[in-house]
Amino acid sequence: MPEFIREFIDKIKFIYLGDSRYLKLIEGFTNTLKITAGALVVGIIIGIVIAAVRSSYDKNKESLKLRGGIGYHILKVFNAICQLYLTVIRGTPVVVQLMISYFVIFAASDNGVMVGIFAFGLNSGAYVAEIFRAGIMSVDPGQFEAGRSLGFNYIKTMRYIIIPQMFKAVLPTLLNEFIALLKETSVAGYVGVMDLTKAGNIIAGRTFEYFVPLFTVALTYLVCVIVLTSLVSRLERRLRKSDR
Amino acid sequence: MTDNVLIKVQDLKKYYNGEDVKALDGISCEISKGEVIVVIGPSGSGKSTFLRSLNLLEIPTGGHIFFEGTDITDRKTDINVHRQKMGMVFQHFNLFPNMTVLKNMTIAPVKLLGADKAEAEKKARELLARVGLEDRADAYPSQLSGGQKQRVAIVRALCMSPDVMLFDEPTSALDPEMVGEVLDVMKELANEGMTMVVVTHEMGFAKEVGTRVLFMDEGKILEEGTPDKIFNNPENPRLKDFLSKVLI
Ligand SMILES: Nc1ncnc2c1ncn2[C@@H]1O[C@H](COP(=O)(O)OP(=O)(O)OP(=O)(O)O)[C@@H](O)[C@H]1O
Ligand SMILES: [Mg+2]
Repeated sequence: MPEFIREFIDKIKFIYLGDSRYLKLIEGFTNTLKITAGALVVGIIIGIVIAAVRSSYDKNKESLKLRGGIGYHILKVFNAICQLYLTVIRGTPVVVQLMISYFVIFAASDNGVMVGIFAFGLNSGAYVAEIFRAGIMSVDPGQFEAGRSLGFNYIKTMRYIIIPQMFKAVLPTLLNEFIALLKETSVAGYVGVMDLTKAGNIIAGRTFEYFVPLFTVALTYLVCVIVLTSLVSRLERRLRKSDR
Repeated sequence: MTDNVLIKVQDLKKYYNGEDVKALDGISCEISKGEVIVVIGPSGSGKSTFLRSLNLLEIPTGGHIFFEGTDITDRKTDINVHRQKMGMVFQHFNLFPNMTVLKNMTIAPVKLLGADKAEAEKKARELLARVGLEDRADAYPSQLSGGQKQRVAIVRALCMSPDVMLFDEPTSALDPEMVGEVLDVMKELANEGMTMVVVTHEMGFAKEVGTRVLFMDEGKILEEGTPDKIFNNPENPRLKDFLSKVLI
């Protein structure tokens, strides 16, 4: 074995096995996955609610206005709240939102992962909401009328007829959001959360070796993204087939 | 109101853009059980708007619609309950593409009427057999021809056991060779005594199965009567003009 390769392997052994530093990396990776998955769940829930309010406002405002009553005004207020949320979230950097969550909203808590899920979930919700809304709008309005004409009310039409079709349409986009989110969580270290990036950074700081830890981190993200991306394209192919 | 009247329309109005577009400009009529009403008229005369108002897919600007004695234009009426009794068939079928034919037909009875799934499927298969599609129960809409889709759309509505069926140009999106199979299903339905309101350009159908023809123009019913009177003895000049164009 050439000298330089043996040296390199020794270096890796020192970096990761000394002080069991590899455990940090595993902890960081686990936290990154937890934050990403948790944030996606939170984002999807927020996204569904916002998309439901916004598209039901768009779809029903005319008829509610005509029929009169309080319903129109309630929906209008909810719609305005959603609009405000979307504007604020999409108009400010995610790091700032994360810091506000950690140092202001949850100042009393030091559960960084939980705060991360909250902040990234809140952020992702704004984008997922727009994905869902576009998905709902992409479903033929005739589907909606068919549901209503059978006697389904607005909510049930959404639930049984529109949302299942919408999900199929947005699944690839949603997975892409998941990929973006995975990379975005790398700023979690700003508030001291031990995520993958932070773990690599700490190991680098302790060992004064930058090349190996940072490339390990980069490679880990890359592999995750490549796996997810291939999943998306396989899914897209399957969906296209079932449309025929 | 006599017991036989199913739908009573009083001075129905539908305006768009303030009062710019008067799609319906004061429509009144009564539809009795068992009637087959055929609505004809030039493009833009308000036929679709009228039909779609009957189950409130369009919310009228004014006037009243009584269905089985209930004013469904009243804000306190739960329209969803009444829509279950009013089947509708669309020009573009509007089948649910992500569901099989059977699922298309059973989802409403199961979810809305609490029907037993096996029972609903049995009924659906019987209806499919009646329109000659018993072997397509597990197909998806994309695997059907236009005529087959429309026949499925008709029996999907029938699964709710409606008291009236509304058709908006059910054959207009079909290739000519498929028009007949859909009209045959509609004729059979009419012969069984189903109350029907049909917007169509198929004058042959109007003459053969229509019990009454409404001629609409500019949001008004300008003339109505039996097919014989409308087609052989038209009075209104615009009806005469319309007929001279469609009856070649
Ligand atoms: N959403 C809308 N906004 C504005 N105007 C509308 C709207 N829907 C219908 N109209 C107008 O109302 C009038 C009646 O339309 P409707 O669709 O009922 O006609 P129709 O008799 O069904 O015509 P066609 O034979 O072409 O289907 C038309 O002038 C149409 O342009
Ligand atoms: Mg029309």
